[in-house]
Amino acid sequence: MKKVFQVALGIIAAIGGFVDIGELVFDTQAGADYRYQLLWAVPVGVVGIVVFAEMTGRVATVSGRPVFDVVRMRMGLSVGLVTLVASLLINLITLAAEVGGAALVLQLLFDVNVSTLILVSVVSLLLIVYFVPFGGIERIFGYLGCALLVYVAAAIHLKPNWHQVAKGLVPSWQPSALYAYFVVGVIGAAMVPYEVYFYSSGAIENRWSIKDLGLNRANAVLGFTLGGILSIALIVVAGEVFFTPQIQPGYLGTTALGAQQAYGEAGLLLALLGMLFAVGGAAVECAFSGAYTLAQFAGWEWGKYRRPRDAPRFTFAWVAFFAMAFVIVETGVDPVLLTEYAVILSVVALPLTYLPVLLIARDRTFMGDHANGFLANAFGWLYFAIILVVSLAAIPLMLITDGGAS
Amino acid sequence: MDRMDLVYRLLDDQLVDVDGRRCGRVDDLEFDGGIGDPPPRLAAILSGSGTWHRRLPRRLRSSGARIFGHGVLGQDVIQVPWEQVDDITSVVQLKAKARELGLARGDARDAVFVAKLPES
Repeated sequence: MKKVFQVALGIIAAIGGFVDIGELVFDTQAGADYRYQLLWAVPVGVVGIVVFAEMTGRVATVSGRPVFDVVRMRMGLSVGLVTLVASLLINLITLAAEVGGAALVLQLLFDVNVSTLILVSVVSLLLIVYFVPFGGIERIFGYLGCALLVYVAAAIHLKPNWHQVAKGLVPSWQPSALYAYFVVGVIGAAMVPYEVYFYSSGAIENRWSIKDLGLNRANAVLGFTLGGILSIALIVVAGEVFFTPQIQPGYLGTTALGAQQAYGEAGLLLALLGMLFAVGGAAVECAFSGAYTLAQFAGWEWGKYRRPRDAPRFTFAWVAFFAMAFVIVETGVDPVLLTEYAVILSVVALPLTYLPVLLIARDRTFMGDHANGFLANAFGWLYFAIILVVSLAAIPLMLITDGGAS
Repeated sequence: MDRMDLVYRLLDDQLVDVDGRRCGRVDDLEFDGGIGDPPPRLAAILSGSGTWHRRLPRRLRSSGARIFGHGVLGQDVIQVPWEQVDDITSVVQLKAKARELGLARGDARDAVFVAKLPES
């Protein structure tokens, strides 16, 4: 019974932790511009993150190697360094976007200037991360992020044309660069690598052993899949509320209006609360992911389960990430714009971390009986092909469409 | 010890000291003897960013040395005698403490500052 409860709590945290500013931006824009026509890209991205996360969790549990251990081992030093630099840069941009997003949500709740709220966000996150243990951090942000389930209720409440919604879930294509850009964005937002770095390092932080492989599978499959329902709900709500009046959700607050349309002030408050903890949790994951990647690549001691004095460079690293993100956001750069860059650049760098994990996950020398079976290998290689295509298309599409503006 | 593919199985692996602390990576390997008979013998593990420039593409080596260090033994590269290796599992386990081998000096240096912060 205790095990079932533990699995359920993990799944709830994964649902609440699935959505970050990337989904809030890209899914809402996708719904506003194309109504339900891009819904199919969500399951494509969700199955991808399930495959990737399950493999990294299994590799970390069985071989004791988190993602950047594996990158260093399988890609060698030169390609590993390129992957490291790209990942650190993307983590930093994403972190800045999440911190800026948290400040924007706070500004909608309290009428204080955004510059002060950026400082409040960063200091609050630093204190939470420093004083709350790893499991507590996952739960605080994961559970409270579940307030975003208001979008699932709103999607039903707004009575969409379910036939059209179902049709949107069937892959389709439009000969338009903008459409392709949003396909890349929706898939990319679901497959942001920092979530996977955090997930695999979390397996070691939580001291998972072979007997936890079931927990890994349940968290990855159920948590991310149910989290994907939130993404679908965001698109449906945006399709209902913003598509017909042709409202462009260029401001994060616009996303919250979808829930208000369905449930008035209570819906708006739940949406804002969910957004605050979703982006706050994502900020913590980003800062930790940056510190994990650096420490794992260089071989430093790392982990929140260590006291700060026992893993000092790791501690300095995540504090430094928050500090750099603070400086970036305080320059006044638009968090929504940062999000778009972060998601697209994440997609570009994705194959560099996905491939080494796939190679180790299927290698019996390291994984023994827990190496990929036929199905995991088939999905693994299928998604590597999908990731490669999406990765190659991302930058040209961003340039052609001027970042989705045209 | 059984036969082992050093590049596949040892290079870039995590070093862990006798107390279970992560303390660097196998950044390079040092051999005694030349090519021929008797075959070269693995003498030491080299750990530290000072070795990295030697593994970069030729054109990037001089910039790599400026960024990561020139490979000065005892400064940016630490030599761990092969006799100090206890076991190779998913990590390379060492027989001594990191401090005694000169590893993880960055952690030791920064721990002084972090120790001044309140306990988390």
